[in-house]
Amino acid sequence: MFKKLKRNLKIFLLFSYQSLKTTGQSRQAIFLFTLGKILRFVFLFGVIFLVFSKTKIIAGWSLKQVVILYLTFNFIDTFSQVLYREVYRFRPQVISGNLDLILVKPYHPFLRVLVGGVDFLDLLLLVPYFFLLLFFIFQEKISFFSFFLYLTLVINGLIIATAFHIFVLALGLLTTEVDNAIMIYRDILNLGRFPIEIYQQIISFIFTFIIPIGVMITFPVKALFHFLSLKNIIFSFFISFFLLLLSIKSWQIGLKKYQSAGG
Amino acid sequence: MGKYFSVFTLTLKEYFAYRLNFLIWRLRVFIGFLVPFFLWLTITKQVKNFSGYEEESIVSYFFFSHLLAYFILGTRTVDIAGQIQNGEIINFLLKPMSFFYYYFFRDLADKILNFLLSFFEVFLFFKIFSIPFPQVNLQFLPFFFLFLTLGLFLSFYLNLLISFFGFWSTEVWAPRFIFFILISILSGSFFPLDLLPKKLFSLIILTPFPYLFFLPVKMISSPKTLMNKIDLYSLFFMGSFWLAILFFLARFFWQKGLKSFSFWGR
Repeated sequence: MFKKLKRNLKIFLLFSYQSLKTTGQSRQAIFLFTLGKILRFVFLFGVIFLVFSKTKIIAGWSLKQVVILYLTFNFIDTFSQVLYREVYRFRPQVISGNLDLILVKPYHPFLRVLVGGVDFLDLLLLVPYFFLLLFFIFQEKISFFSFFLYLTLVINGLIIATAFHIFVLALGLLTTEVDNAIMIYRDILNLGRFPIEIYQQIISFIFTFIIPIGVMITFPVKALFHFLSLKNIIFSFFISFFLLLLSIKSWQIGLKKYQSAGG
Repeated sequence: MGKYFSVFTLTLKEYFAYRLNFLIWRLRVFIGFLVPFFLWLTITKQVKNFSGYEEESIVSYFFFSHLLAYFILGTRTVDIAGQIQNGEIINFLLKPMSFFYYYFFRDLADKILNFLLSFFEVFLFFKIFSIPFPQVNLQFLPFFFLFLTLGLFLSFYLNLLISFFGFWSTEVWAPRFIFFILISILSGSFFPLDLLPKKLFSLIILTPFPYLFFLPVKMISSPKTLMNKIDLYSLFFMGSFWLAILFFLARFFWQKGLKSFSFWGR
């Protein structure tokens, strides 16, 4: 077991090293993409302060809580983009038939198609997001237990993000439809930038219990500030476990139906 | 003119051939609309008057901005950079028609489809959530059409300029990404720009971005909050100034790009 893990880690690091080399080839793009992402981050941060310039509470959330929510969103979103960037490049593999060359290799295909293209551009931004998040969290009087629960629910959120990415891969196998699916996932995730309570009840319900964006982003922050009930904590772990299992099952069904049409 | 009308109808047919792609694109635009709409609706419900905006005026702003955003910003010019890179652009250069007109009519088809679908979406959305439909402000209708025309042409020339990067660099997506970000920040898609402090607003108004759709939307939704801050004629002057600059820059870089462009194997 340990030997297998070590071998997989070695392969993952090898793919990541190749990805780093590819990224380093276009310095102009690195600069412009990073600049764009920083601009967007600063702008939305500014929007939060603009909103709170006239009020102290929005939908039951204070300025500091919304800031931590926004940073948690950025952390989860960026982390999953760092790790799962290769999913965005899955479609050409399917339609060209190159996926066959991955499937016959003696390692799990997820090592290539899911985590085989670490995005180093986003990794650059993940570090400041992480420290900013810690800075704002430690400004508050937070008990060790709430912080622990927050971390556990953030990891839980990352598991849900993993499940969504595996669903997209499975959909890619069945229909070759990847680009639109992944972009819709990103758009829906963006709804979590602000408290889920701002949306009308029916939308809040959908994005908490059906497409659990709220569980991914809002729930960890609610737990940090003692807003989250025990029932919802249990639900969070249940839904992530369920979605992960379902996504892996979909991938397996996808593999059975895959006909290697390309090539 | 007949050949450009054919370009227009062919572009429409293209969209009908790839219906699912276009519908998914509209779904994405609509999801994007939900965040700012509900955020500002919640805020204005709570704070009765946010820098002159009340619940009714914020609903009106986002209603018209959803209708007009992709009527103005919708474009097919994003294809140009790729066509320069793979040499396909030669096919257009050999044809007896204006490249600028060709893309203008392709854009027009895109805009009309975007407008029709956005109307359908917003109508359905307001009906489902029982949100009262906002009234059109007819008082400034001539200004609305003036700023709308300005926005359409500014968007066209800005998009062309970004695509012409393809003549000199293979990195065509990075400048466009920056452009998207600037649009989302400075064009008023996330909030009405006149909510900003006056000094910051006066600075943003010096860039071409607010002239894309913030001003037309303001003219038809709630022009009063804007008129307390700035004179409409000076806004029109500034917008026309940007249009003239972008028009000449687009022509200049097109000519310059064609001279430096070479391709083989087609």
